[in-house]
Amino acid sequence: MTVSPGPAASSHRVQPFRSDHPPASTGDALLRAATRHSGVRCVALGLLALAATTANLLLPAALGQALDALLTDPSGATRRVLSCTALILVLSVLDAFETVLGATTNARATAWLRERLTRHVLDAGPRAGRRFGPGELVARLVGSAGQAGAAPAALAGVLAALATPLGAIVALWLIDYRPALVFLCGAPVIAVLLKRFTRDSSQCVARYQDAQGRIAGSLTEAIDGARTVAAAGTADKEVARILRPLPELSREGHRMWRVQGRAAAQAVAVAPLLQIAVLATAGLLLTREALSVGELLAASRYAVLASGVGVLVGRLGGLIEARASAHRLGELLDVPATAHGTRHLPRGRGNLELRGVTVHRGGRTVLDGVDLVVPGGTTLAVVGRSGTGKSLLAALAGRLADPDGGDVLLDGVPLRALDRRELRREIGYAFERPALLGDSVEATIGFGHPTPPAHRIRAAARTARADDFVRRLPHGYATPCAGAPLSGGEVQRLGLARAFARGGRLLILDDALSSLDTVTEHHVSEALFGNMPGRSRLIVAHRASTAARADTVAWLDEGRVRAVGRHDELWTSSAEYRRVFGSGAEAAEGPAGGADDGSDPSGRERTGDSR
Amino acid sequence: MSGNRVYRRGLRFLRARGRVVARLAAWSVLESGQTFLTGFALARAVDAGFLAGRAAVGLGWLGAAAVAVVAGAYGTGRVYLAVAALVEPLRDRLVRDVVDRGVRDADRGALSRLTQQVEIARDTFAGIVMVSRSFVFTAVGALVGLFSLAPLLLLVVVPPLAASLVLFALTLRPLTRRQEAFLVADEELATQLGAVCPGLRDITAAGAEEQVTADALERIGAEQRTARSLARWGVLRVVSLTIGGQLPIVLLLATAPWLLAHGVTAGALVGALSYVGQSLLPALQNLIHGLGTSGSRLAVVLRRLSPGDPTAPTVPTVRDTADDVREPSAARAPAPASAARPSPPAAAAVPLSHVTLSHVTFAYGPASEPVIEDLDLSIPHGTHLAVVGPSGIGKSTLAALMAGLLRPTGGSVDVHVDVHQVPGARPTERHHVLIPQEAYVYTGTLAENLGHLRAGAVPEAELLAAAADVGLTALLDRLGGPTAEIAPGTLSAGERQLIALTRAHLAYAPLVLLDEATCHLDPAAEARAEHAFARRGGTLVVVAHRVSSALRADRVLVMDGPRTAYGDHAELLERSPLYRDLVGAWSGPSQPALSLRDPDGVDAVAGAGLARDGRHVVPHGPVGQMETAGDLRDGGTVGGE
Repeated sequence: MTVSPGPAASSHRVQPFRSDHPPASTGDALLRAATRHSGVRCVALGLLALAATTANLLLPAALGQALDALLTDPSGATRRVLSCTALILVLSVLDAFETVLGATTNARATAWLRERLTRHVLDAGPRAGRRFGPGELVARLVGSAGQAGAAPAALAGVLAALATPLGAIVALWLIDYRPALVFLCGAPVIAVLLKRFTRDSSQCVARYQDAQGRIAGSLTEAIDGARTVAAAGTADKEVARILRPLPELSREGHRMWRVQGRAAAQAVAVAPLLQIAVLATAGLLLTREALSVGELLAASRYAVLASGVGVLVGRLGGLIEARASAHRLGELLDVPATAHGTRHLPRGRGNLELRGVTVHRGGRTVLDGVDLVVPGGTTLAVVGRSGTGKSLLAALAGRLADPDGGDVLLDGVPLRALDRRELRREIGYAFERPALLGDSVEATIGFGHPTPPAHRIRAAARTARADDFVRRLPHGYATPCAGAPLSGGEVQRLGLARAFARGGRLLILDDALSSLDTVTEHHVSEALFGNMPGRSRLIVAHRASTAARADTVAWLDEGRVRAVGRHDELWTSSAEYRRVFGSGAEAAEGPAGGADDGSDPSGRERTGDSR
Repeated sequence: MSGNRVYRRGLRFLRARGRVVARLAAWSVLESGQTFLTGFALARAVDAGFLAGRAAVGLGWLGAAAVAVVAGAYGTGRVYLAVAALVEPLRDRLVRDVVDRGVRDADRGALSRLTQQVEIARDTFAGIVMVSRSFVFTAVGALVGLFSLAPLLLLVVVPPLAASLVLFALTLRPLTRRQEAFLVADEELATQLGAVCPGLRDITAAGAEEQVTADALERIGAEQRTARSLARWGVLRVVSLTIGGQLPIVLLLATAPWLLAHGVTAGALVGALSYVGQSLLPALQNLIHGLGTSGSRLAVVLRRLSPGDPTAPTVPTVRDTADDVREPSAARAPAPASAARPSPPAAAAVPLSHVTLSHVTFAYGPASEPVIEDLDLSIPHGTHLAVVGPSGIGKSTLAALMAGLLRPTGGSVDVHVDVHQVPGARPTERHHVLIPQEAYVYTGTLAENLGHLRAGAVPEAELLAAAADVGLTALLDRLGGPTAEIAPGTLSAGERQLIALTRAHLAYAPLVLLDEATCHLDPAAEARAEHAFARRGGTLVVVAHRVSSALRADRVLVMDGPRTAYGDHAELLERSPLYRDLVGAWSGPSQPALSLRDPDGVDAVAGAGLARDGRHVVPHGPVGQMETAGDLRDGGTVGGE
C-alpha cells in the first residue's frame, strides 16, 4: 500500500532545474512567442481597450456638460445629450468587442501553448516524465498553460488599465485642482488597506489546508485499503475516523471568512469615503460658484474611475501570475527533445552493441563504461542487485534514454543516427509496470505505430497468456482498460502482448515477467526463449530460472559489467552471483520486510527511464 | 433534469437555514441604507446645501452619507460571517458525502473532489450568495432612493433595468450550457493528459508519439472551440449590462427637460445619475458576471458531487451475504483433516461457521466468459483451506465471493454462523474478515489499527498475546508499543501485512480469508502467521502466494478452470497435473519443462526452502491494481499546483 501524494504534494516532485541560462528566459521567450502568435488580435485588443478608456474618460465630462446644459440652456442641450448617448453606445460596442476578442484570444493562446508543449513533452518522452512527475506535467499542461494563455490579452489591456485611473486624476485636476489634491492625499490609504487584506488571510488559509490535507491523507489510505474496509464492513467507522479533522476545518474556514470580512469592510469603506471627500470639496466650490452642478457630477464620477486602482492592481497581479506560469512551462521546454537521425538499418539479425556506455544521474555514475554485445538472434539476460542500473541499461538499449558517454549500436548503426520510425518499429519493449494506453484491451495491445492487424493482436495475447483472462473481462477485448479489474500479473501480460504484437529485431523486457505466476511464466518463457531467428532479446531478470534460459548472462554490479557468461557457469563459480538471486536477501531486509523476489518494493530499482 | 434537482436541493438547504438567511438579510439592509443615503444625501446636499449657498447643510448631508458608508462597511463585515454560516455547513456536508462515497466505492476521484471540487463549490456558492444578495439590497436601496427623490424617476429607471434582468434570465440557460460544455472539455483534456503523462515511456517505446499527439491536439482543439463559443455568448452579457446600466443614464438625460418641468430638482437628477452609475451599474455587472460563470460552475460541480451522478463510476454495492444468526449447524461433520488437529486454545472465542458454495458462477460482464463456473464447495468449521492456481484464474474473485464483496451471477454462497456459542462475541460483528494483498494500515496508533475490527477497545494483554502469536512483537517493540503513532508510509509492505494479520487475528470472525495477505513476508514469517491462524480456530481460507501455504493446509483447492480440483495434498498430487506443476513434483518425462526452473539448486520437494525464487504461486504485483477497478481515471493530481 503506497500512499500516493495528494495533488498538493505533487509539486514537490519537481527537481531543481539546472541549466546554463536562467530558466526565466525560456518562459519569457515563450510568452513573447505566444503574444506574437496572436499579434494582430493583441494589437486590436490594445486599440479597443484604449478607445474604450478614452470614451470612458470622456463620458463624465460629457455628462456634466449635458447636465449643465439641461439645467441652464435647454435649447443647446440636445446636442450634448446626443453626444453622451453616442459615447455610451460606442462604449458598449467597444466593450462587446473587447469581451469576445479578449476571451477568444485567451482561448487561442492557451490552445497554442498547450499544443506546443504537448508536442514537446511527447518529443522529450520519458525524459520529461523523469524530471517532472506525471501529475506535475498534467498540472502544467492544463493549469499553467491556462494561466499563461491569459497573458497576451492581459498584456494588451494593461496600458488601458493603467490609463483609466491616471486619466481620471488628470481629468479631475482639469476640473479643479482642489478635489484632485484631496483624492491624491486619500489614495495611499487605499493602497495600505489593500495590502493589509492580502497579508491577513494567508495564515488561516495554511491551517485550513492543513486540516484538509489530513482528511485527504486518511482518505487516500482508506481508498487504498478499500477491499479490507468493504470486507470488514467498517466503512462507517472509517468515515468517522477520516472526518475527525472536519470540525477544525470548519473552524478555520469560519476564521477565514471573518478575516476576509474585516478586510473587506475596510476596503469597501475607503473608496466611497474618498469619493465623498471629493464631493464635499466640489460642493464647497459649488457654493462659491467656482464649479457647476455638472462639474460636480463629473468630479464625482472621475473620483470613482480613479479609485479603480484595484482593477489595475488585479490586472498586474494576473499578469505576474501568468508570467510565473509561463516560466513553469518554460522549464518543460528546457527539457531537450530527443533528436533522431535519418539513417536506416542494413539487413541484419538484431545485433546489439553497447560501447563504453556511461551514464551519470544526480552526480552519481550509474553506468560506468559498459561494453556488451547481444549477437543477432540470441538472448541476453541482465542480472544484478537492485539499483545497479539494469533498468537504465534496458532503457539505453532501445533509446528510451541516451548515454552521457559511449554509444549503442543496432546492426552497426548508432541508435542516435537512426530514423525514429525505424528505431521504434525494430525495437519492442515490455516493462515491469506497463502503462496501458488505448481505449480498449485490443487497442492497448495494438498500441503504437504502425497498428498491428487484429489477428496479430490475438496471437500476441495468446503468446503472452493473456487471451484467457481477457475473454473473461466484462466486454472481452473491447473492455476499456481503465475500468477493467486487472491484477499486476495481468497488466504485465497485456504489456508483454503489446511487445509481442510488434515485430522488430530487438525485444527488450525490463523485468516484465516479475508478476507472473510460475506456470504462466513458464509458458511465456517458452515462447520468449524459443528460436526466433533475426530477433535478439535483452531481458532484465530477477529470477534465476529466467537467467538460466538465456544464451548469455550479463552480471551487472555497481554500474559495471562484473561478468558475462552462461548462468550455470556463473552459478557454480561464484557465491556472490548466487546471492544476486535472493539467497540471504531476507537477512538484509529486516524482520519482516523481506522482498521475496528481489524486486525493491519501493520501486527504487527503476532508476532508469522507466518512469 | 438534474440541474433542477441541484436547484431544489439548494433551496431546501437554504430553507433549513432560515435564521442564517434572515441574519444575512438583516446585515445587508445596512448596505441598502448606504446605497440609499449616498444618492439621497447627495441630492439634498446639492439642493438644500451647496446650490442654496448653505455649505454647512451640504457638508452635513455628505457627513450623513459618510456615516452610512461606515455603517454599510460594518454590515459588509457581518455579512461575511453570515455567508460563512451558510457556506461552511455546505462544505462540511459535501466533505462528508465525498469521504463517505470515497470510502464505500474505493473511488480515487474522491481525492480531487475533496481538495478541488468541494473548494470550487465553496467559493462559487459564497460568490453567488454575495453578488445576488448585494444586487438585491443595492437595487432596493437605489429604487427607494429614487422614489424618495421623485417617484417619476422610477418610471425612467425601472423599465430598462427590468428588461435587462429578463434578458439576462433568458440567456442564463444557454450561457450555462456553454459554460458547462467548456468545463467538461477542460476536464476531458485533463483526463486525456492524465493518461498520457504517466505513460510517456510506453508511448516513446511504441513510437506512438504522432497518434497520441493527434489525440491530445483533438482535445485541445475541442476545448478551444467550447471556449470560443462561450466567449461569443459573452456579448449577451454586455447587452444586458448596457440595457440595465447604461440606458437609464441616456434616458435620464433625454427625459431631463420633462422631469425638470415636473418638479424634479437639479440635485435629484444628480442623485439619480449617481444611483444609476455608481450603485446599480456595478451591482448589475457583478450579478451578471458572477451568476453567469460561478452559477454554472457551481451547478456542474454540485452535480458531479451529488450521489446520483450518472457519470460517477458504478461499483456493485458491497454487502455481507452471510445470513444472520442461524441454528447451530452441529449436524455437519467436521473435515477429517481438521479433526486430527489439536484443539486450538483460542477456539472458544470464535463462533462456529460453515461455508457452502453451491453452483457458484461468476462473470464480470454478461458477455464475458465466467471466471468461476458451477463451483461447489463445502468448508466445514475449522477447515484450513488453501487456494492455489495461476494468476488471473479467479482466486481473488473466489475470496471476494466468500467475503460477500461480489455477488455470484449464479448459485449461492452461504456463510452459516452460530454466534450463540461464543461468550463475548457480538452478533453485530462480521462473520468473516478478508485481508487482501495490500494491507490496510492507517495513520493512527498501533492499538487503534490492531483493534480496528473489534467494537470495543482490546485489552492490552490480549493484544500483546496476539502480536506474539502472529509475529508482530519485534515490530511492536521497535515502534514503541501499542500506543505508538504509526505512519503507514514509513512501514515496509511486510510490516503492514503483519499489522493487518494481527488485526484479523484479534477479530471475532469465524471465517478468515487471507488473499495473498502474506506475500510480502519471508517464508518463515509467513509460516508463523499461518500457524497462528490455525491455532486461533475458526475457518481459514488462504489464497496461496507460495506453494508452502498449500502444504500447511488441510485441504487444497486447485483452481484450473474446468480441471479445478479439491482435496488434500496427497490426493491432489495424484489427480491434478497443475498441482504437480505447482509443487514441482512432476512425474515422468511428460512434463520436463519445469525442471528447467531448478538451476539454483533449490530442493524441488516440499520443504521450507520451497518458497524461494521461482516458487511463487503468485508473486505480488503492483499494489492496488484490483482495488481501483471502480475508477482508474484518477483526476486527483490535475491542477494540483
